[in-house]
Amino acid sequence: MKLLVAYLSLFYLAISGGFAQSECSMVLRGRILDAETHMPIEGAAIWLYPVGKSSVSDDKGQFSIKDLCAGSYVVDIHSLGYKEGKTEIQLSSSTILTFTLEKDLLLLDYVEVSAHKERLITTTTVSTLSGKALENTRGGNLAQSLEKISGVTMYSSGGTVSKPVIHGLHSNRILIMNNGVRQEGQQWGSDHAPEIDPFVADEISVVKGAEAVRYGPEAMGGVILLTPKDLPTTKEIHGSAYAIGQSNGRSGTLAANLEGGFGKWKGFGWRLQGSTRRAGNLSSPEYYQGNTGLKEANLSGAFGFRSERLDWDIFLSHFSTQLGILRDAHTGNISDLNAIIENGRPFNDPGFSFDVINPKQQVQHQLAKAMGHYHLNKKLTLTAQYAFQANSRQEFDKRRGDLNDKAALDLSLFTQTLDLSLDVKPGGFWIHTLGLSGMNQVNTNIPGTGVTPLIPNYDLNNLGGFAISRFTKARYELEAGLRYDWRQVDAARYRSNGQLQERLFQYQNITASLGAVYYWRENLSYRTNLGTAWRPPSVNELFSEGLHHGVAAYEKGNLDFKSEKAIKWIHTLAASGEKWSIEATGYANLIQDYIYLQPTENQAVSIRGSFYIFEYQQTDALLWGGDVSGRYQLLPNISYEAKASVVRAQNRTDKSNLPWIPTDRLQHGLLWEGSAWGFIKAPSLGINLSHVARQYHMPNFDYITAPEAFTLLGIESNWQIALGKNTLNMALQVQNVLNVSYREYMNRFKYFTEETGRNISLKLRYEF
Amino acid sequence: MKTYASLLTLSGLLMLGACDKEDPVQELEQEVITDVTLTFTELDANGNPTATTLSFTASDPEGVELGGNPEIETISGLEAGKSYRLSLDLFNGIANESITEEIEEEDAEHQFFFLGSAFDEAFSYVYEDEDADGNPVGLLGTVAVAANASGNSVIRVILRHDLDKSNASAQNPNWAEYEQAGGETDLDVSFPVQF
Repeated sequence: MKLLVAYLSLFYLAISGGFAQSECSMVLRGRILDAETHMPIEGAAIWLYPVGKSSVSDDKGQFSIKDLCAGSYVVDIHSLGYKEGKTEIQLSSSTILTFTLEKDLLLLDYVEVSAHKERLITTTTVSTLSGKALENTRGGNLAQSLEKISGVTMYSSGGTVSKPVIHGLHSNRILIMNNGVRQEGQQWGSDHAPEIDPFVADEISVVKGAEAVRYGPEAMGGVILLTPKDLPTTKEIHGSAYAIGQSNGRSGTLAANLEGGFGKWKGFGWRLQGSTRRAGNLSSPEYYQGNTGLKEANLSGAFGFRSERLDWDIFLSHFSTQLGILRDAHTGNISDLNAIIENGRPFNDPGFSFDVINPKQQVQHQLAKAMGHYHLNKKLTLTAQYAFQANSRQEFDKRRGDLNDKAALDLSLFTQTLDLSLDVKPGGFWIHTLGLSGMNQVNTNIPGTGVTPLIPNYDLNNLGGFAISRFTKARYELEAGLRYDWRQVDAARYRSNGQLQERLFQYQNITASLGAVYYWRENLSYRTNLGTAWRPPSVNELFSEGLHHGVAAYEKGNLDFKSEKAIKWIHTLAASGEKWSIEATGYANLIQDYIYLQPTENQAVSIRGSFYIFEYQQTDALLWGGDVSGRYQLLPNISYEAKASVVRAQNRTDKSNLPWIPTDRLQHGLLWEGSAWGFIKAPSLGINLSHVARQYHMPNFDYITAPEAFTLLGIESNWQIALGKNTLNMALQVQNVLNVSYREYMNRFKYFTEETGRNISLKLRYEF
Repeated sequence: MKTYASLLTLSGLLMLGACDKEDPVQELEQEVITDVTLTFTELDANGNPTATTLSFTASDPEGVELGGNPEIETISGLEAGKSYRLSLDLFNGIANESITEEIEEEDAEHQFFFLGSAFDEAFSYVYEDEDADGNPVGLLGTVAVAANASGNSVIRVILRHDLDKSNASAQNPNWAEYEQAGGETDLDVSFPVQF
């Protein structure tokens, strides 16, 4: 690394004075922050002269240097991508200092880590999946990847459609930010998975608190942030290529990304990324699940520019998938549903096939985004982002004749979003963010389906403005935010009896949040966040009026629904020692006017047979629970890891349990990490057990009793082989090693089939 | 203030570029069966049709709806000891389409089953049609009425779609566990029978 030009820009502030201490047992503690974002800087080297002692900052930017005598010292801080920080301090007692480093944008060529990486700064609890942990989830869908994070589970419709659940909430109650853009796809219930290619992300974070002040309505249960790597600025071309094979479903995944810069045009960078996946029928231990294959192909490209004052980028992506729905999950009436439940497994067992037939879903999602970030001066930074999304969803049912080639549901959704924000740094340790966001959305049913649409045609406009203030010191951080939103939905449709129905809805709401983080020591911290959130009723909750074949039910919405209003309080205590670390989170989420689908015993009778009547209703709900995760180094190369989560959800009106809440679960395992052995680098072997309890808190109505508890065994081994300057990463994973037959309460297809059996995956990743 | 002004201008621009929804188009339900007619034609001693026919209809003009109650006629007037040709006609009154024709075009994927107490003693049914694979369909069949048929009973007509007709039990028109062959129910209607 080229030596950085010394340029001092260092603030420091003594926080603790102190009582007299013995002469040479003083401790210098400190925290290193990015001068612009006040995000902690990890891995900065701190040198103390003239004693020559040193330390490295941890992921919270904290460091400590012990056994110091009173006197004057020079603190010298180096971190890649930042200007060197050098300052003189007087030490007369143990002290905590805060240092800020300025980014060194003149040395872009040497910056490996981004200068402007969009990271979320919040006091609420955030868990991140990146590096090897993320790489080990490659080849699955987004929800499957996120299951690695404690407190995050999956709500699925069979083996091909799954969506993430954060602290018991899912679908329209959590927000997915795909590369900075709020994902606006079609999330009407459990059978619509997020239209996202997880390969786009280099890092996936889950915000577990209500982060609605920053993101607006719907961020009630949490936010999922998919963040790609920053665009490179160096000339060389780098990239990685993946080849993944899985035994269950005989699936194959190929993915690659390439990125580089331009020698002549300093600051410009580009990236191309694509992935494709093909899978056939999944298998349960005793049978194949008919029509559970899928085909997926995704492509994205990014181009951007970065300089000292301005950076911008444009991003285009295309996602397309075709996935089969278990044939037997499409039932004709109650008697069909009862027959398959009694049978205990699908009636169809067509063996293995890659073919996808009806019922199936074909989904495409296009995204175009342009983002600019401009430093007006040292105190003001302006960010503007515009994004356009086009989502097309076609669902095909088993029908008669030519109708088989016509989608039974054919929706097209266009969304434009504009987000503007202004960061203000008045000096001291304050940062204020002011933002405005607008959204315009148009949903259209493509005519010709021959089925009365479930969702009306509508246009939706949302305007919001917010302010967040943040105060960061060495030992604590404080944050407060306020937001106002206005939303209008103009909807129209024909009912099945030919009546035209037109409605205009208006909603508005104020959201607020307060949060704090306190660091007792660099290895003991407490964070708390109290946030409100709201969500207007979604169009399906308002307009539903028809059959849902999967559950032999007639679903009925209510046009008079009010918005849901939530308040979530979340606390996290994190502590670590030399050999151990532990993080515990507890939360309570009180939701007023919570909208849910209430099954009833009433039936609608027709010459097709009988159907249950499910009515959307509003009640007050309380969700509460906790997550714990920890790690202990048993031996120098063997560690034990565990995580557990518990959620409870109560309908406060009649004290009953809400349906579709994840069951209690504990995952733990041993991990051996070896040293290089011949040409094999970084070998590791992990063995883990995942225990999932029975749902003892069942709602008043369900077709079956809660599935039994189960335990799954998993094995995972990783190693690397150096090929010249480049690396080939290999992973062998076995899920459900013992081929256990089980049903997951959170899978809507638990009525029809058992979960998938053993799955062996081989994953290759070549980096160049 | 310049900044705020430009922010407002930009958000104004977004709203100007906003799109409006298209007018909805009414869909005529293509999948619904609104009318089912059972036509019984009396057969003479040689098994040839006579001019005597009796028709009974079940109708449900809006398909599945809340509070809807299908109107089902009672089958009466059949005589004990006689045989009848039973032909089925299915109609979609919403889209004004013959479902019978659609079934004939896709006969390998459809099959009727005849359940209910009428088949305990009073009636016996034999398929009289077959698809290209030689498997029964059930649009046409013969019903023999037992000599001692009397009282009240029920004929439950079930139409299965996308079933596996190679299942050996599917040759039996009165197969109570018809779900075993897979597929889904498109029609499940019970006609009362009186003698």
